[in-house]
Amino acid sequence: MTLTDSELERYSRQLVLPEWSGEAQERVRGSSAIVVGAGALGSPAATYLAAAGLGRIGVVDSDDVELSNLHRQPLHYTPDIGLRKAENAAVKLRALNPEVEVDPYPARLGSDNAETIVTGADVVVDCADSFETRYAVNDACCALGVPLVEGAVLGLGGQVMSIVPGRTACYRCAFPAPPSPESVPSCREAGVLGAVAGIVGSIQALEALKLLTGLGTPLVDRVLHIDAATMEHTLIATERREDCASCSRVAASAQSG
Amino acid sequence: MREMDLTGVPCPMNWVRARLALEEIEDGEPLELVLDPGEPMRSVPLSAREDGHDVTVTGNRVTIVKR
Repeated sequence: MTLTDSELERYSRQLVLPEWSGEAQERVRGSSAIVVGAGALGSPAATYLAAAGLGRIGVVDSDDVELSNLHRQPLHYTPDIGLRKAENAAVKLRALNPEVEVDPYPARLGSDNAETIVTGADVVVDCADSFETRYAVNDACCALGVPLVEGAVLGLGGQVMSIVPGRTACYRCAFPAPPSPESVPSCREAGVLGAVAGIVGSIQALEALKLLTGLGTPLVDRVLHIDAATMEHTLIATERREDCASCSRVAASAQSG
Repeated sequence: MREMDLTGVPCPMNWVRARLALEEIEDGEPLELVLDPGEPMRSVPLSAREDGHDVTVTGNRVTIVKR
């Protein structure tokens, strides 16, 4: 597998990075990612993954583009209102980088279909807007041993954590139970500034590229919290729970393997 | 010795191609480049040194020993 002249030119500015390489580029090209959600976090995350040259990206979203989405979801433009987000994201990502195979999944990811969607992925980027989806994604990634990047944004706050199932704390280790439904404003009600989501989604794409290539040190066993109002970044240590319902089973199989 | 004629190849594509060639050789092996004068001759040897390789310049020929 070698890079074509057109790929060399497209990726030249990352290929000259001391921390990147032709081997890293080929690994990324041979990789498949699932991006759950094509909204505020999924737009930048999927955009940077497509731009960087992922081989295949699956985009999962059951919603249609609405006018109220556009301030924070830069894959969707005003003429796209009414289109399926997953399909519109695929159109945009293919236009950005025709080298990438993009598969839209216009479906709501839940515990019933999570494993089917995640199967075959080398990394999953969770840009979902609900706790129910996050736990379903985390459980499927743990069951299948697929690395995962979790992200969330609310108001001017954001958080990101990377997960290597069986080796590092999973989302359920860090957050064993969802907050009570009354304490969680739904994404439709809660305020969010697009640029803040852009920061978090971009970090998620970067973490996915790090997990795929071995670049740098991924954000594992730590939760990064960002306060965009003050630009304070805080790393909160977390660790695996032996009794974790999602990943303790993964540890047993990883050790025996 | 591996030799690459990179005349007519502008920055940064000349360094992109040289870097990929360096990935394919072993530590201690040399790679000889022929470069255009001007920016390529200034920036490619500099990039190679920044990546930690040994660089010798003779005229428009640059020898990079992979480190």
